[in-house]
Amino acid sequence: MEKITSPKSPFTTAYLRFLQLARVIQALPEGLEMDANELALLQAVVLRWHENSPMTVREAIALATLGSPATLHKRITRLREKEMLSTLNLEGDRRAKFLIPTPRTLDYFDHLGQSMQAANQNLQA
Amino acid sequence: MTQLVKGTLQTIFLTVLSAALYVCLFDLNTWIFSSFQHKEGISWVFLPAGFRVILVILLGMSGALGLVLGSWFIARDTLGGSGEMLVLLNGLVSGLTPWVVYKYLRMRRWVSEKLQTLTTRQLLNITLIFSATSAIAHQLLWLLMDHPHANPWVDVWPMFFGNVTGSLLMLYSLKFMLDRVPVPSQN
Repeated sequence: MEKITSPKSPFTTAYLRFLQLARVIQALPEGLEMDANELALLQAVVLRWHENSPMTVREAIALATLGSPATLHKRITRLREKEMLSTLNLEGDRRAKFLIPTPRTLDYFDHLGQSMQAANQNLQA
Repeated sequence: MTQLVKGTLQTIFLTVLSAALYVCLFDLNTWIFSSFQHKEGISWVFLPAGFRVILVILLGMSGALGLVLGSWFIARDTLGGSGEMLVLLNGLVSGLTPWVVYKYLRMRRWVSEKLQTLTTRQLLNITLIFSATSAIAHQLLWLLMDHPHANPWVDVWPMFFGNVTGSLLMLYSLKFMLDRVPVPSQN
């Protein structure tokens, strides 16, 4: 028990506090956070992309469960500004604009997946 | 070497390192943001204010003492002509104000001892509180000590603003670096 509660050296304390502070600093808002509505739209778009059937802008703004076409169009624009979505035109069909995730989006979902795995491991431990 | 001596030496090292870094950052701020200066000793962007936040949170009293030493060193040039007492008190205000505020926040349990429950909102609030108290304390001191050209009701605002912008710049610079350098996870 004495070992557990023994005082730590100033260097150790400073480093451990740095780890805690670093965690908080890394979570500082960047102004690129998504709200729940944007996240729902992003998930719908990325799911379709994952199923090898990317969604077109036309299809995305027709997702009535997520909002009106005008609202969804604005939401797509915001997601593009936040570099969470990009568009792709297929060869031979310049009219259809497909929505695809960006590397930033894939990193975001990768991070979510890792967090879920960590939470699962913590539950099992 | 006994634990006590080792601990004391480490504390002295951290204090001196804090002072040296604070002076370097002050010089860097003067060099980069000289055109943002409102008047002597007051800038619209004051990076060392961010260092106050980080040092006091990380090192506590050692960091605060480092700030006092650093401020004394800096004030020899900037406030030297206004008397030694002003230099002395200015250093104490610069280093100890954030420490006293932090102790108060700890006492009220707004911040946990080991930072385990610190949130980004709390960190930003601490930054704002440190910026405000530091600006008010400096201006009050300058008023009481008859600092030449002291105009506290006007100067407190650019000083507060400079502290906030400097602190945010520092914190976000650190975030930029931390996002690129892996830090061991707590989990």
